[in-house]
Amino acid sequence: MPASPDLRNPSCPSGNQPSSRGMQRREFLQVGSLAGLGLADILRLQHASAAGKPVKKDINCIFIFIVGGMPHQDMWDLKPDAPDGIRGDFKPISTTVPGIQISDVLPKISGVTDKLAILRSMTHTDSDHGRGFHIMMTGKKAGAGDFNGNQNNNQHPSLGSMVARLGKPGALPPYISVPNFLNSGGPSFLGPSYGPFTITADPAAPEFSVRDIGSPNSISDNRSLRRRAALQSINQLEQRVEALGDQVKSLDVFYEKAYNLMTSPQAKQAFDIEQETPKTREDYGMTSMGQCCLLARRMVEAGCRFVSIENGHWDTHRKNTYSLRELLCPSFDQAIPALLNDLSQRGLLENTLVVVTTEFGRTPRINPLAGRDHWPNAFSILMSGAGLKTGLTIGKTDKMASEVADRPITPQDMCATILKVLGIDHRQMLHTPLGRPIPLVDHGKPVHELFS
Amino acid sequence: MEDLTNDTPLHFQRDILPLLSKLGCNSGGCHGKPSGQNGFKLSVFGFDSQADYDAITKEARGRRVFPADPQRSLLLRKATGTTAHGGGQRMMADSADQRMLYTWIEAGTPWGQPQAPMLKDLLVQPKEITMQPMRSQQLLVTAIYSDGSHRDVTAAASYSSNQALIADVDSSIQIKTGKHPGEAAITVNYMGKVTSTRVLIPRPARQQLKRLAVANQIDLLVGQKLHALGLQPSSLASDAMFLRRLYLTSIGTLPTVEEVTSFLADQSPDKRSRQIKHVLNRREYTDYWTLKWADVLMVNPEKMGARGAYEFHQWLRQQIQDNRPYDQWVRELVTASGNSGKYGPTNFFRAAETVEEVTKTVSQAFLGIRMECAQCHHHPFEKWAQSDFYGLAGFFTGLQRKPLGNDRLLIFHPGHQAAKVPVSDQVVPTQPPGGEPLNGLDQGDPRIQLADWMISPKNPYFSRLVANRLWKHYLGVGLVEPEDDLRTTNPATNEPLLDYLAQQVISSRFDLKQVTQLILESNTFQLSSKSNQLNFDDNQYYSHYRIRRLPAEVLLDAISQVTDSPEQFVGMAPGTRAIELWDNRLPSYFLDTFGRSLRESPCECGKSDEPTMAQALHLMNAPEIEAKVTAAAGHAQQLAKTNLTREEITNRLCLTVLGKPATAREQTVAEALFQKQSRQTATADLMWTLINCYDFLFIH
Repeated sequence: MPASPDLRNPSCPSGNQPSSRGMQRREFLQVGSLAGLGLADILRLQHASAAGKPVKKDINCIFIFIVGGMPHQDMWDLKPDAPDGIRGDFKPISTTVPGIQISDVLPKISGVTDKLAILRSMTHTDSDHGRGFHIMMTGKKAGAGDFNGNQNNNQHPSLGSMVARLGKPGALPPYISVPNFLNSGGPSFLGPSYGPFTITADPAAPEFSVRDIGSPNSISDNRSLRRRAALQSINQLEQRVEALGDQVKSLDVFYEKAYNLMTSPQAKQAFDIEQETPKTREDYGMTSMGQCCLLARRMVEAGCRFVSIENGHWDTHRKNTYSLRELLCPSFDQAIPALLNDLSQRGLLENTLVVVTTEFGRTPRINPLAGRDHWPNAFSILMSGAGLKTGLTIGKTDKMASEVADRPITPQDMCATILKVLGIDHRQMLHTPLGRPIPLVDHGKPVHELFS
Repeated sequence: MEDLTNDTPLHFQRDILPLLSKLGCNSGGCHGKPSGQNGFKLSVFGFDSQADYDAITKEARGRRVFPADPQRSLLLRKATGTTAHGGGQRMMADSADQRMLYTWIEAGTPWGQPQAPMLKDLLVQPKEITMQPMRSQQLLVTAIYSDGSHRDVTAAASYSSNQALIADVDSSIQIKTGKHPGEAAITVNYMGKVTSTRVLIPRPARQQLKRLAVANQIDLLVGQKLHALGLQPSSLASDAMFLRRLYLTSIGTLPTVEEVTSFLADQSPDKRSRQIKHVLNRREYTDYWTLKWADVLMVNPEKMGARGAYEFHQWLRQQIQDNRPYDQWVRELVTASGNSGKYGPTNFFRAAETVEEVTKTVSQAFLGIRMECAQCHHHPFEKWAQSDFYGLAGFFTGLQRKPLGNDRLLIFHPGHQAAKVPVSDQVVPTQPPGGEPLNGLDQGDPRIQLADWMISPKNPYFSRLVANRLWKHYLGVGLVEPEDDLRTTNPATNEPLLDYLAQQVISSRFDLKQVTQLILESNTFQLSSKSNQLNFDDNQYYSHYRIRRLPAEVLLDAISQVTDSPEQFVGMAPGTRAIELWDNRLPSYFLDTFGRSLRESPCECGKSDEPTMAQALHLMNAPEIEAKVTAAAGHAQQLAKTNLTREEITNRLCLTVLGKPATAREQTVAEALFQKQSRQTATADLMWTLINCYDFLFIH
């Protein structure tokens, strides 16, 4: 099926999908009274509690999603001996790891390959973007329905939502998405409060800022607290709980979370990308990819557990070579090494998992429009950091990068791996509002080659 | 009935294809995709059995099946994983499935006897069942063949529930009910045959229930359903709650202080009814319903240019303003020809740019038939086939879009040509979905024939869809959800009610205002949103009013109205309200954050009312909101300048923002604010508090 490069305006059929999210019932968080406490007091309290406890290093995750389908055979799994019409225009080049070659379109990444694990034998069976997002972001195959609509369409919670639900909370929202909400990045039956906090702005834009995370300057801390107390009194009502409705309940949770964010100085700093030196910003590249990676580093540094980055327009049904060489790979090739080196220099790489993933690979055969189409049978993804073994490739494809020849890795395996790294057992049960236990990831096994 | 025995000769269509479906061979991601897989292509879900038979038995130089030595057949070797297979091992080497395939190949891969019994029907037992919450119940699905024989296909069938939270089928093929009372339809699908079973979970002790008071036929039908389910309706909404709900849902606008106070003071018994007639004649009714249809019909400058979007919007506005019968304006829209820069409805054919998109849009937006599956293959669980899709497409094939310069197109249809299925190039007779080929297609514009079929009272889809749309708009949840997906496998939660509403659409001659009035006058619409112990967990039978957030445009206008501080949209006249905008791409962080429609699909699904943290942050902290709250010329500051008492200011603000007089609670909150700070500051803070509170942000 032909798909337009811009997935937010898909030519693939779209429609909506009945959502189960409206039905969930989560515990109703009450906003505690803050009467008598000044903002400064609250901040002191927060600081004291943070300083008092021994800090165990949690592993956080930067989850970079290449939207459209990343051409494995032109980037990570080149087949120079494949016939014309399949081989493509890219040439393998050597990397910092003897024996591992990647594409000449990724010269800078070839310099950090020792920090990468290249998983070359990813495979699944959904050749539709929306369904591919679903399985690659949740570890669960999409059921009936259309997954290309604009709505939050999860039938199973996304990895980020699982982490938000099960991970330890910090000053920042546990799950942040930039520069867009990604379809299938939603919380499903866990409920909207475990969805991502989405920064709908591109950090590469000159006027970038994360909006509304503090009271307007004209409002003093004390006045802000008085307003808050007034609002709590108005909203805390007699018969509320039953008559509320699910939307009211989730907005209530969001108000509570919004307060937490507003009163956290770490949070505000983390979002302020201007605090970086111009040189650091240039190192990452003044591109969406580069600045999203930089912002992601700031956010995991401040304690966000899961940052998802969307990088779009990779659906190269036309002019694949040109698109990769001129439009897509340069910013990618600059941003990834910058991120890994920066994390490493700051001592953050050991407790940050970086994943570069996509909904599927692309067809072995180049189509009449010089493009490649959707191909879930075999494709590649990357993992790095968090103490994983790197400087290696895992799995093999056949001579045309068409099918997995050795060691198939499923999306379920990928999700199980990510959860394991983050300290979450993927077999753990979640309970739907029906009370039915559902494992976080069914039929997945962590990729053991990555663990020492 | 006789059971089909093991000696019955195997039949490709009856026995082998279902097996391939069960093993997933012909799924859309494997050999079922249009390009096949590794040269082996099957029709998706096995809808084209002849082609599949040929692919298996004749292509690949006969290597797929090898009757002389079945074990060497690629079909078997790949499926059992003996030979490398991209799809992995699909069945065990010594399984019943494997033995069946082996036997079929060994027998020389017969198509089967022409007289062989074919799948005729599917029976599910129980067909309808009343269950308690949190229980299980075994299902039995029997396939009935044309010779009367039958077979238990429970394990091979697939199941889906339309209300998985009420009841679903688990992996052991048991119906499992949830905690809550309600009703679910479970669809059973086996080899293209579909049946369903209904599960009803009533609340216990229904004899003591209060019944819904009947204002009109709607209440009678809703009341019957509530009674069957053991749900007790809430009491009627207070006057203040009713008025605010009426205004917000029908005209997307808050009532003013004067409107609230005069309505509350009115003692006449028919005041609600008079108020309903009044709002339906307001200018904002036109604004709001134009917005609503503009969302469904994708009035989007990115698709049709600013000029086209403006003209299309203006035209829609005129139809709503004149309350032109729905069937008449849809007929004009679907058959529109002319200059897109001058004649608005032609832009419908720019919102949908290709024959395929027009086909999908017309069927989804006006018939409630989701056709996109059938574009490429037979609908997996409905009767729609590719011939239905291309039959409908035939009415639009050959439609011309001639550039006239300045981003205008001349839209016209030079005459009928039947559509062809891509790849096979097979010509499909032009006909409406589920209808018969029409006569006289060759005279002029074939869209006229289609439009007349669409709007005919005999066509059940057209009136049902718009009835369901109206119902969903006013009650918050459709009788069918999604509202534009009418299928036998997606039944209404109250079929008699949907039938009745659709009849009313027809008998009113498509006067949607008249049907709206009927809905608004029902006690069902006028129930309180406060639930009781006997209905709090009902989300689909209308036992209490459904609380929901104000839509993006309505909320922004409401904030502007109560703060008396209008929004200024780029390039729009001062005072233009959000519900009046024709351009959905005007920059507005507020509208984006609160989920205005993207207008990219022919439905309301591009619109979101999901709460997010960004919304809470925006309402509390955005400088734009703060500017409205504290504007010198704004409502709060002007009130602070009067010599009204604190109590009077509070009451006035509550009437303005919440549409009801202040209670002791609000007075206490105001007292705390006024004690510690200046009158100006306190009034602004009270305004801030009220526009952040749930009584304001939600329709109750």
